[in-house]
This record gives sequence, C-alpha cells and structure tokens, in this order.
Amino acid sequence: MSLTQAVELIQDYDTVGIGGNVLHRAPMALVREIARQNKKGLHIVKTAGAMDVDLLCLAECVSSVDAGFISYETEYSLATHYRKAVQNGVVKGNEHACYTVISALRAATAGIPFMPVKGLQISDLIEVNDYFTRIQDPFSGEMVTVVKAIEPDVVILHVQEADKNGNARILGPKYDDVLLSRAGKKVILTAETIVPESKFSFSLDKADIPFFLVNAVVHLPKGASPCSCATKYSIDRKNLDSFKAIKDKEELKSYLDNFKTIDYPRY
Amino acid sequence: MASLMGKARDKMISTYKNEKVQVSDIMICAMARLIRNGENVFHGVSSHMPMVAVMLAKALHAPDAVYLNIPGGVNPKPRNLEKYTSAGSELYEQAVAAFPLAEVFDLSMRGRLDVAFLSGIQFDKTGNVNASVIGDYHKPKVRMPGGAGSAVLIPTAKRAIIWRTKHDKRTFVEKVDFVTTRGNIDRIITPLCIFKYEQGELILDTIHPTSSLQEVIDNTGFEVKYHSIEYTPLPTNEERMMLQRIDPKNYRNIEF
Repeated sequence: MSLTQAVELIQDYDTVGIGGNVLHRAPMALVREIARQNKKGLHIVKTAGAMDVDLLCLAECVSSVDAGFISYETEYSLATHYRKAVQNGVVKGNEHACYTVISALRAATAGIPFMPVKGLQISDLIEVNDYFTRIQDPFSGEMVTVVKAIEPDVVILHVQEADKNGNARILGPKYDDVLLSRAGKKVILTAETIVPESKFSFSLDKADIPFFLVNAVVHLPKGASPCSCATKYSIDRKNLDSFKAIKDKEELKSYLDNFKTIDYPRY
Repeated sequence: MASLMGKARDKMISTYKNEKVQVSDIMICAMARLIRNGENVFHGVSSHMPMVAVMLAKALHAPDAVYLNIPGGVNPKPRNLEKYTSAGSELYEQAVAAFPLAEVFDLSMRGRLDVAFLSGIQFDKTGNVNASVIGDYHKPKVRMPGGAGSAVLIPTAKRAIIWRTKHDKRTFVEKVDFVTTRGNIDRIITPLCIFKYEQGELILDTIHPTSSLQEVIDNTGFEVKYHSIEYTPLPTNEERMMLQRIDPKNYRNIEF
C-alpha cells in the first residue's frame, strides 16, 4: 500500500494514537502525510510526544492532545506550535501522567470503560479534567482515582521490520507501541524493511505485532526521519533545525514538499 | 526571561577557593550520593543530570543499584551518551533485561521503586509541584510540557528526588499556580542549594559552597527555614574523574 492510501484510512475527528517516544521512532512519514491530506480535528494520544504532535498542531490537524509530556527534550527544547495552539485555545491540552495514558489504553485493550490508577491522588488534574474522577472501591470502600478508557480509532507506528501481511517487529526500545497496537481499532504501519513471512515463522523470535491487528503496511525506509530509528539511524539534526525555524503553515508546506522523495519512494 | 537565562549562564562555572567548579557537577554529585546501593532508580525524558548521576552512583558507591529508564533497558552501559535525549536506544545497549516504561510505573505503584528523579517548574513551601501550566488550566498563559510521570511517581516512589536548574522567586513560590502533584519528595536540588522535605514543608538542607545563605534567601519566594547552616560537599577528585569518563562531552551541563 502507498503512504497516501494508508493515510486515507484516517478520518477527520478520529482519535489517533502515535507510536515512539519523544524524538525516537515517531512515525514521521505518516505524520507528514496526515498534514498533507489536511486532516481536521484529530484527537492525538501519546505518552510523550515531540515533533510529531508539534507538526500536526502547526498543520492545524489537531483538536486535542492527550499526553503526559510534549516537548523535544532539553536540547531541542519546547514544542512551540503545540504550546501556542493550546495557549490560543485552538487545541485542548489534556494533560495526563504518562501512566494514565498507559492505563487508559490498557482499559481499551481489555474492553472496559475505565481503569483505576494508583498514584494520582492529590492533583488539580483530577478536578480540571473530565477523564479523571474519584470513585469508591466497592470492595475496600476506599476512594480510588480512575481514568476513562481511550480507544484510538487509528494507531500509527513506524517499525524496523514487517512482512507484507503486517506482522511487525520492533528492534530496541518498543516504548508503548505494542500496547497501542492492542488498544486501537485500526493499525497503520510504516516499515524500514519488508521481510519475508518466513523470517518470523521459521524463527522463535516472533513478530511483536500480529498481522490480524494491522490494516495497512507501507514499506518506507527513513519513515521515522528526522527522528531516530534504533539500529538504522539517529536524528537528522539539519532537518530538525530547519523544522524548528518554521514560523507558519506556508513554510510548513515547502518543508513537507522537500520530503516527497523519501515519503513516496519508487522501487 | 532573558535576564534569568543570563544569570543561569553565569552560574555555569563558579569559583570556589580559586578552583573552578561547575555547578551542575555539584548538583549531580549530590543526586548521586542520595542513591543507595541496591535501590531501584528511575529517570525519564529531559533528564541528563539524573542520567549521569545514576551512572556515577553505580560506578562508585552503589554498584548494585538497579537503573531503570524510558527505553526500558535494565542496567544499560551505553558506549556514548547523546546530547539530545535521555530516552534513546543507547540506554538499551548492553542492558541485561528489558523492562519497559509501563512496567516501571507498575513497579512504583506497588511500592517497589525506591528513587524517581523528576522536575517541575514551580514548587511551594508545602511541597506542591507544578509541571503543568502558568495561569488558567483551560486557557493557560504558559502551557508547559507536562509532568510526564511526576503526577503518579512523586506520590508512589519511596523517594522522589527533584532537580531544577532555575532557582528564583518565580520557581520557589509561596503557592503554586497549579498542583500537578505532591507526595514523597525527598530533596529538591537547585543551582544554589538543596531543600529537604520535612514534616510537610521545605527546609534548607545544604547550601552549595558556590552560593550563600543570602543568595538563597534573595531568590526564594517563601521564608527560608533551616536547622543549621550546612554546605553541600564539593565533588571529590574521584567523582570528577568518573564524571569525565561517563560524560566526556559534558552533556550533563546542557540545562545551564
């Protein structure tokens, strides 16, 4: 499947779970294509996001972000476009602890409406957000905080290896990708390498994500760039710098155009 | 903002008894010394100082500390650190086991995480931590990156060790704008001093030799209380040598 066709599976106003963590193995080619296709009103879900969320906010694709942390870490610093969008009231910043995103996804995975979360006891986050509340534990009678399930309509991931059916293996840190793949209604993958099915069937190292959860797989080397992809490449500093210098949507358009040879490879 | 940044930069290297001392090293050694041998220790994103502190502790007095992190490598031995991240695959290199972030959180919820290194943007005298917003939550004046794990780890880790490279009256305040969390704060380490959390309030524990009681008072937005005037020990020669070996490119100073 092509990147264009894969992203056509995403509807406006969908809840979209994004794989990777900060500047690592974010599915940037899919993110860029979402921006090109001008999707609207997306509800983004991620434990710790960075450039992916920032780019989608700049492209005006986003209505809310459920995350524990949105920043490029110390060196590349704040996610300016996300920040501006939240401060201007364009995007709703639904602050979680990373663990409450995980708990909300676990609830979706198990098909239950909410999940008790230990730890979140005294916090203004409980008061100001409608996805947290305190209820009584029916067994002990004690109060417990619960977080509402988040079931992404679509989960987008970038992996190192996948076969043509969508069986996928992540090398190195998996972050929350495996959980996301279980929680979503649909899964879209880009893969550095398409491997033969026998790679998994003849080995005891099986795929992390099984084909029956996956709706689309796109062969896309450099699909995480300018973010890093373990065993393949580190961040592309020059490209990150050029993105961080972008001020508006017009400049974003030419930035996205420059990626066409990577995002639409000819084999 | 600009003047604060300038001030922070001046703090990078201070002179103490004719010797140049990097303030981040005083802070990192203080963090490392708080880690005890055998403890389960975690740090997250944007955490170069704790990352180096855990490696320092493991190299010196706490070889059996269990080092946990976001990529999920248990006791990694990275060949090189990265300047741009403290959550990358280098923290998976030569690790002995995979223990992903979700499970680190689970471990803390069960009461088995000893130390979590966390930060925030505002702290008040009663130990409330704000990592969320300045102003109204729904239409904030400043939307911060968010507390990441703080809201569940500060209450559940046995000891939350907090570091913040800014020490001014907007950071240490009478009352935070927003309570992201509160809980088991052990120490708060700043470029000027260390606070400890005792009976529901922040007490001045030690002053860095590169600072002074007056400087701490002048830059703290609440009344500074203390039992006695103590000074943070400077990095020893052994610690300095090891810091150089762990982080020869001085990425640990990135926040200054």
